[in-house]
Amino acid sequence: MNRRHWTLLFASLALMFWSLTLTAQELIVNRATPHQPISRNSARLCFTMRLLSWENRLPVKVFVFPDNHPTHRQFTKSVLGLFPYQLRQVWDRQIFSGTGRAPVIVATEQEMIEQVAATPGGIGYVESGANHPQIRILEVR
Amino acid sequence: MHRLLVAFFLMLGGFDAWAEDSFWDGLQVHGFASQAVIKTSDNRFFGDSPDTSFAFTEIGINASLPVSPQILLAGQLLSRRAGDLYDGAPALDYGLADLTFASSVEQRWGVRLGRIKNPLGLYNETRDVPFTHPGIFLPQVVYFDKIRNQLLSTDGLMLYGEWRGDQGAISFTAGGGQSVVDENAKWTYLPLSYRFEGEFKQKDPAALFSLWYATPNERFKFGLSGMALELQLHPGPGSPLNAGTVELFYGIASLQYNAEDWTLSAEYVYEPIEWRNILFPYTKATVESYYLQGTYRLRPELEALLRYEAYANPDDRDGTKTSAITGGLIPPFNTFSKIWTTGLRWDINQQWMMRAEYQRHHGTFILSARENPDFSELQEDWNLFAIQAAFRF
Repeated sequence: MNRRHWTLLFASLALMFWSLTLTAQELIVNRATPHQPISRNSARLCFTMRLLSWENRLPVKVFVFPDNHPTHRQFTKSVLGLFPYQLRQVWDRQIFSGTGRAPVIVATEQEMIEQVAATPGGIGYVESGANHPQIRILEVR
Repeated sequence: MHRLLVAFFLMLGGFDAWAEDSFWDGLQVHGFASQAVIKTSDNRFFGDSPDTSFAFTEIGINASLPVSPQILLAGQLLSRRAGDLYDGAPALDYGLADLTFASSVEQRWGVRLGRIKNPLGLYNETRDVPFTHPGIFLPQVVYFDKIRNQLLSTDGLMLYGEWRGDQGAISFTAGGGQSVVDENAKWTYLPLSYRFEGEFKQKDPAALFSLWYATPNERFKFGLSGMALELQLHPGPGSPLNAGTVELFYGIASLQYNAEDWTLSAEYVYEPIEWRNILFPYTKATVESYYLQGTYRLRPELEALLRYEAYANPDDRDGTKTSAITGGLIPPFNTFSKIWTTGLRWDINQQWMMRAEYQRHHGTFILSARENPDFSELQEDWNLFAIQAAFRF
């Protein structure tokens, strides 16, 4: 392999990586929630409905897509590190035993952004980017 | 006590902040309905199954309302028809107030008051909700449907706590109260005295606990849970029976591993029982049972099930002793059950689910005497086939 090949390989790898980060799902929150990045464990607690309120005491209100939505499946796996069926099990156990709640289900990305923007304490996710003055993208570490 | 007071006032504070929204904004209503068709080669299970039974119907509706982030009110009405065991009369399945004293990323603790589903094993809390467990029927040697109410729920209080760290989460519940026992207990623990009048009730408050560990991604879960209960017979007028008691402890160890395409579950039950001053073939017995269960997701909406379960009395594995004591009235094979189950689940969409299941039984321990009062008609080896349709919202 000569130098040109290496450059080409490197460039294509970089391009691949860049396109991957472009399609990575992003966790979004309402502007009224705390600013700091959150840990993966905290994100899991939010989406399993076990974190009840934010540090500033606003109630956590979770919005998700239906179970079989591609963005939901991807977000659950790559951002939360859970399998979609695990989330469903946790929610079902909570709502059918009275020990907890299930998130609000929204149908489209548009609706997701509007709901999170309109709900103080709201949290959700989008396929990529969300341009709305009431929404902030939160880094998951 | 000081801390409790502080927590209480903090909750009131939360209530104020919340009250700006409409009180009913957070109301969530969910429900489900299911219908099964059951056919067995012999022996009655959930109705006239040898002639095909439709008598397995479950309908539930629940609502939950967060009064504040720290107070959740929740209740569920359940109508359950299960052969001769349950007639479908609606009952309060649970109705509780959940008060969270402390909640953060690291921990949460609080108390539930009211009618609470017993947190026993992997499935007891949602045992009647078809979507929440593999198979149309739960493993009968562990979650006995013939005496379902012994484990079902408690009118009382339950403390709960959870600690979370990088290594996983530890959670517990502890509490007690009045166990919601029904007629089926009498048929199971006093199978030779059901002809006489009398009520079979809980004596002292039942005690419950559970302890769980789960890895942060919940791939692996391990739990120990249990319940101590004492039942007393109140003989009716003219009954020749004594006001004897049945004392028991139900302990269950649970293990589950979740991978992307498959889940492995295993549970083991240890249940010592003591009969005092009461008509029964023996005065002491220990239930020992377990199951191993694998589910495989062929596609996200298609799940295959394979399960083996077994129950035997360790002191009388082949049932000959029990049979001899009763002069052959109880056949030996009524003292054990070994069951193979295979099934397929299809989640058609978010609302609808279909299931089919085949079971191969050796022994009749899991059958209720209420549905099979004539022991001489029982068959040792039998088959079961069932299909189920379920809806949820």
